Amino acid sequence: MSAQSDSTSSTNAMADPTTSNEPSASTSSSQPSSTQPSQKTMTKAERRELQEKQRAAKLAQKQTGDTKPKAKPKPARPTEATSSFGADASRSHPKDASASTTVVEGVTSKSRSLRIFSHFGLPKHGPGAKGDIHPSIIRLALQFSEFRICGANARCIATLTAFKTVIQDYTTPPNNTLSRHLMSHLSPQITHLVSARPMSVTMGNAIRQLKLEISGSDIDMPEQDAKDLLCQKIDDYIRDRIIIADEVIQDLACKKIKDGDIILTYARSSVVEKVLLSAYKQGKRFSVIVVDSRPLLEGKALLQALTSAPPVSWTLSNDSLLPPPPPIPCTYALLPALPSLISEATTVILGAHSLHSNGAVFSRAGTALVAMMANQHSVPVLVCCETYKFSEGVMLDGFGKNELAPSHLFQTSPQAPNLEILNPLYDLTPPSCITAVVTEVGLIPPSSISSIPMALGRISL
Amino acid sequence: MMDICATYQRKLEDDQISPPLAAILTLTELCASSTAGTMFELVKALNEGADALNQSSTNAISLNAGCELFIAFVTLFPHDSASFSDLKMELVKQGETYVRQALTYRQKIGELAVDFIKDDSVILTHSYSRVVMETLLLAHRSKRISVFVTEARPRGLGVKTAEALTAAGIPCTVILDSAVAYAIEKVDFVLVGSEAVVESGGLINAIGSLNIAIIAKAANKPFYALAESYKFHRLFPLSQYDLPSHNPRILSFPTPGEMAQAAENQMSSASPGSRSASRALSSITQEEIAKNNPDVDYTRPDLISLVFSELGSLTPSGVSQYLVGMFAG
Repeated sequence: MSAQSDSTSSTNAMADPTTSNEPSASTSSSQPSSTQPSQKTMTKAERRELQEKQRAAKLAQKQTGDTKPKAKPKPARPTEATSSFGADASRSHPKDASASTTVVEGVTSKSRSLRIFSHFGLPKHGPGAKGDIHPSIIRLALQFSEFRICGANARCIATLTAFKTVIQDYTTPPNNTLSRHLMSHLSPQITHLVSARPMSVTMGNAIRQLKLEISGSDIDMPEQDAKDLLCQKIDDYIRDRIIIADEVIQDLACKKIKDGDIILTYARSSVVEKVLLSAYKQGKRFSVIVVDSRPLLEGKALLQALTSAPPVSWTLSNDSLLPPPPPIPCTYALLPALPSLISEATTVILGAHSLHSNGAVFSRAGTALVAMMANQHSVPVLVCCETYKFSEGVMLDGFGKNELAPSHLFQTSPQAPNLEILNPLYDLTPPSCITAVVTEVGLIPPSSISSIPMALGRISL
Repeated sequence: MMDICATYQRKLEDDQISPPLAAILTLTELCASSTAGTMFELVKALNEGADALNQSSTNAISLNAGCELFIAFVTLFPHDSASFSDLKMELVKQGETYVRQALTYRQKIGELAVDFIKDDSVILTHSYSRVVMETLLLAHRSKRISVFVTEARPRGLGVKTAEALTAAGIPCTVILDSAVAYAIEKVDFVLVGSEAVVESGGLINAIGSLNIAIIAKAANKPFYALAESYKFHRLFPLSQYDLPSHNPRILSFPTPGEMAQAAENQMSSASPGSRSASRALSSITQEEIAKNNPDVDYTRPDLISLVFSELGSLTPSGVSQYLVGMFAG
């Protein structure tokens, strides 16, 4: 699955008649959509670009259609698949050239052999910054695309902080108001960030909230005051929904860690790291199994944090000096070793990228495996997740929407011709494998996730 | 300062009052007698009272549910009275009204659950529960039912249920706790009361409920729980050992010292001769067994078919949604 050899395109078409229909049906329409997963998430500029492309494609089709009138109805007949494919393939070349920019072409040529995963988000290596992009956003986009800033919380906080600078450096043009114009100034910045790495759910939620605040800001307010107010709102959002929420989650999750427990965790989640460290600080004696996997090997960072954290000092209690507590005993293992370790664990604590309203957890690829295995061994699975990570949609599997780890950053195996490595970054854990979700409003069974927005008095999150 | 534990015990003497209601009534009295001049002081006093009750009780789970409910009510109560003493009086009045209302809940639950009982049903119940009694007696008026009740060791409350049902003319047999799997084939459904219903939608009830739930699941028989809404508790046990009632003594293995002593006892009792076996067996008394055993267990939500409360018949996930809505906001 991960490597599909693609020596000639005609053999590919022979093997699977459905793919033979694809070029004629989709070269014009699906290639743009492969780079832009859904219309809703597109910005205005992107939509316009798409529209122009489609228009150009139509024009091209008309021209080729005149010379080859038979090409259109062909896809209906699978017997002619090979020949029609060949015709379409030759036809698609001028279309591509006229329709798509160099950006799209770069992506398609790269992911050709992974056709069924072509909708997965991959960083688009655009021709630098387009339009009026703020330097802080350009720097952030670079950090995103190089995976220097990684993790849902970190990315959200970094984005919001960068937006604060953008807002402070913004001046409303004459004959316009801040509440109406600022968003159109921010849109290209967001587009630029998204082109570096697909937007996380957390960023989406935060940006939606920011848009709401901008459109609601008072027209009569002096510009500097309005900007300060927006920055204040951003700070409040970071504090309330992320930092304080994490503290509450730490408290709640720590209560579920007892002396002698063996906690198993997968990869690295900032919340889980905080939970384990604060439980340790509370004097609980437990051990941790860090399960990790390629290509990101984030568990190493967690292992580093857990083993280097303890305060190496003698503590004074009841007028006697106590030796420093021993550091947290940790075990580091790769995913294939999970079956032999899972029966040792008393609790599995995981982090999340986002949480869907049916209770499914979207998290680092491999999480689902850990949760399922734990469920099979009756080990309780806790997922630590702030409520701002909630997404209203429902996901059924990790194929509908995912992101690929760029192969140039994470070399996992020796390069070979005709070998394309598929490294999805996320997977979906079904709600049946999760015992409870630890949120800042309490421990919630995954079946009740959908009632939280109502309980918080919001229609949406 | 009133003696909060004595008040609580006095309230419990009334046969109709269950621990959470007794806790609410006790806190109401604490509220009335309190000298607190501000909301903060009052809530602090109530929390201290709840802690004191908690300390005095061996099994504080359902009591805590009541305390939690009342304190949440006090903190969320709108402050629009002229003076703080008026507000306190208002709170006391509201508390008492709630308890009076709550006493009608069992009747409501009974009416709801009766619709699920078919004529000529055979029902399995566990230990003694007021709300189950109410339901069974109500069902007896219109339907022919027969009841298996477990003995429910160590407290043996199943006998109390059997006596009361037999007196009412319901055919009833006491079965051993270990005979549930044998009896389940003849049973149409299981009906149990509850100590508390927790946030996962699971159930905390007298020890043995989990066994019955697992057996019922294995035999594909419905497992119904009856719970008044004041027993809904904001708690999420991950396992039996995560229950607040758990302590290190429960199910502990004897230390080497204790083992040596037990062996010595056995030796001394065995030395006289032939009756050693029976003697040795009787050296472990029922009390000793009960001492190291848990009083309550936690039944997972996936084993429960429905929870009947006065709010309606809820699925376990419905219970958790209700709890999230009530306390999360």
